[in-house]
Amino acid sequence: MITTDMLTNYIQRIIPDAKVSVTDRTGTMDHFSIRVVSDLFKGKNLLDRHRLIYHALDEPMKDGRIHALEIKAETTDGT
Amino acid sequence: MADPIEQEIQDEIKKHKILIYGKGTKALPMCGFTRETVQFFDKYGYPYEVVDVLPNPAKREALTKMTNWPTLPKVFINGHFYGDTDILEPMEKKGELEPLLKEAFKNG
Repeated sequence: MITTDMLTNYIQRIIPDAKVSVTDRTGTMDHFSIRVVSDLFKGKNLLDRHRLIYHALDEPMKDGRIHALEIKAETTDGT
Repeated sequence: MADPIEQEIQDEIKKHKILIYGKGTKALPMCGFTRETVQFFDKYGYPYEVVDVLPNPAKREALTKMTNWPTLPKVFINGHFYGDTDILEPMEKKGELEPLLKEAFKNG
């Protein structure tokens, strides 16, 4: 099983300034909605922001600890 | 000559203006996100196609490589890749999706 802190660590390894909020959508701690806020996203379109997050979470997605993932990726000024 | 699977994908992308590669079919989506994407496009009333890639792992892998996107569903509009509803919903909110769909279906 993966915890919120572990998810946050995975993301912060690739996106150091990321503010991460995690919602367990089904109570099974493997269907998540995550919101990632970072200024590293500035100038990146939505697809590339999400690709960055998928890259950061590649391991727990491949080993099944993450079964389903909804992503919101914004800069600090909410764009 | 292009790899037959990639050729098959390219043909499908050109043929269907809205194309959803997903798990299951339009009538029987096998995963929440595929169902969500089908419902998302049902709102617009434009024709769309769902291609089930569950029975075809090689095709699923080719799509992942082609789009550099690890998950399903994968949505193509007018031949271009747009991820899934995580991408389409923010686009919709910013009013970017409607014109894109109109453009795609402009010449019938």
